[in-house]
Amino acid sequence: MSRREAGKYRLYKFQRTIAPYGFILPGTVFYLMVTIIPMFTGFWMSFRNWNIIRPTHPFVGLANYDMILHDPVFWQSLKNTLVYTVGVVPLQMGLALLVALLLNTEIRGKAFFRLLYYLPVVTPLSIAAVIWQWIYHPQVGLLNAALRTFGVPGQNWLGDPKLAMLSVIIVAVWAGLGYRMVIFLAALQGIPDTYYEAAMIDGASRFALFKYITLPLLKPTTMYVLITSMIGSFQVFGLVNVLTGGGPLDATNVLVKYIHRRAFGDLQFGKAAAMSFILFGIILIFTVLQWKFLGREVSYD
Amino acid sequence: MSRTGSVVGYQRSKWAKVLGQFLAYAIVIPGAIFMAMPFVWLVLSSFKTLEEIVLFPPTFWPRRPTLDNFRQVIEMIPFGRYYMNSIITAVAPTIVSVITCSMAGMGFAKYKFRGRNVIFWVILATMMVPFPATIVPLYVMVSKMGLVNTRLGLIIVGLSSASGIFMMRQFVMGIPDELLDAARIDGASELRIFNQIVVPLCKPAIATQTLFSFTGHWGAYIWPLIVINSDELRTLPLAIPYFSGQYLSYQNLISAASLMAILPVLILFLFTQRYFVKGITLTGMKS
Repeated sequence: MSRREAGKYRLYKFQRTIAPYGFILPGTVFYLMVTIIPMFTGFWMSFRNWNIIRPTHPFVGLANYDMILHDPVFWQSLKNTLVYTVGVVPLQMGLALLVALLLNTEIRGKAFFRLLYYLPVVTPLSIAAVIWQWIYHPQVGLLNAALRTFGVPGQNWLGDPKLAMLSVIIVAVWAGLGYRMVIFLAALQGIPDTYYEAAMIDGASRFALFKYITLPLLKPTTMYVLITSMIGSFQVFGLVNVLTGGGPLDATNVLVKYIHRRAFGDLQFGKAAAMSFILFGIILIFTVLQWKFLGREVSYD
Repeated sequence: MSRTGSVVGYQRSKWAKVLGQFLAYAIVIPGAIFMAMPFVWLVLSSFKTLEEIVLFPPTFWPRRPTLDNFRQVIEMIPFGRYYMNSIITAVAPTIVSVITCSMAGMGFAKYKFRGRNVIFWVILATMMVPFPATIVPLYVMVSKMGLVNTRLGLIIVGLSSASGIFMMRQFVMGIPDELLDAARIDGASELRIFNQIVVPLCKPAIATQTLFSFTGHWGAYIWPLIVINSDELRTLPLAIPYFSGQYLSYQNLISAASLMAILPVLILFLFTQRYFVKGITLTGMKS
């Protein structure tokens, strides 16, 4: 090796060692700065009587957590969050999978249908909420007008505590179905045709193909969609804040809405932080349980 | 072998096929109507006069279509400014995060280095941390930096994303190492390999990531709601609910404003959609 070549090699070695750090640095730093640091500060805050105006933040131990667990509005908002999640996640996923399966067949105009189903996803949630507020309007709303033509009396969809959560759930399913449909579509297109061909040669029925090939191969995607959907619906806020503001009578007051009210309404940051960590704990438990009971991944090869 | 039908060549009677197709349409079409109806109504309403909007029972088709609502919105509220705010606060983090995420994706996918797995798993693990668990301290952090009620404060949280890094990594992993090695033998630097080989091959993933990122930032609600408190810096997702609260009965104006607010995302979707499903397929969402 000549000296020049050796120098070149050293330069190459140096580049190879330094390059990966150069590549990951900006993304990692930006990301960790806005997640890891706040996470630890948040945890620290949750043990303090934290008020943004006061300079000292006295340590109060578990008092914030204790107060929250004795707060009936917290339990109400936790219950609302669970009802919302149970209402939205299975419905949205089931429909998204069904539509993806149908739009993956030789149906005509599927590009157009995909566009229609994806339309709500590109609508900012707060604007979607404004549109739906109007659709649900008891007097001039489209929904009641449509129901009246069928002779069904109009309802006060968002104003009636019994109907408000259902109305919110319908909007949420509408808003998020398209995104999940696209992910299912992508996964369906990733399943090699040879699997189906082999099974068909063996005389498998259409239902058997679905049950023994499609479903198992979709399992990792389904897990991904299930877990991210669940995490997302536990954190619902924008939709509720614009549609109902948490009302009527706290009927749609979900956890994040309540955290927001505690922090930026009452300026009780410590309590809000504690509540965030309780929510984090709940999400973590659910996620771990899902991995445990449903998680066994299927290999593609 | 067609890519479209998963059960291509499956022998079924003609009648079963017709029945199957009929059932498929019977589900897909009503669903599509339900999905599209709010838009159709929004679009139609944005061309209606105020007299028609308050009619009872409501009309479906506009009787005398008018463009006046759009003019009024622009004159009544500083719509242009809100639009500009939205564009700046959506475009800037989209560009930056697409760059940082694809770079990080390259770093995690194509090199072995000390701490790689630890850093990657920390990033993935934080995806589980709900936004509300960090939002209060994030607000305090941003306020200590003096960035409350500034554009930078708005943008700073979106300069990178875990899902973006994850997605780009999955995609870059699919590019064969031999391709990169060949370029290295030709004397290309690592940065050049990234710019001239990896980025062009990543087009579908970059298009998908751009769309996701832009859609997310364009529609962002919770963070801007907290960080922005002056009317000056308000973005469209904040301005329209506010506008709607003030002029609740002027649904014609609200429709026109909403339609204008959705338009950019719709255009971007139309431009990126041919890459779109492909991008997700190749990023291996399933693994």
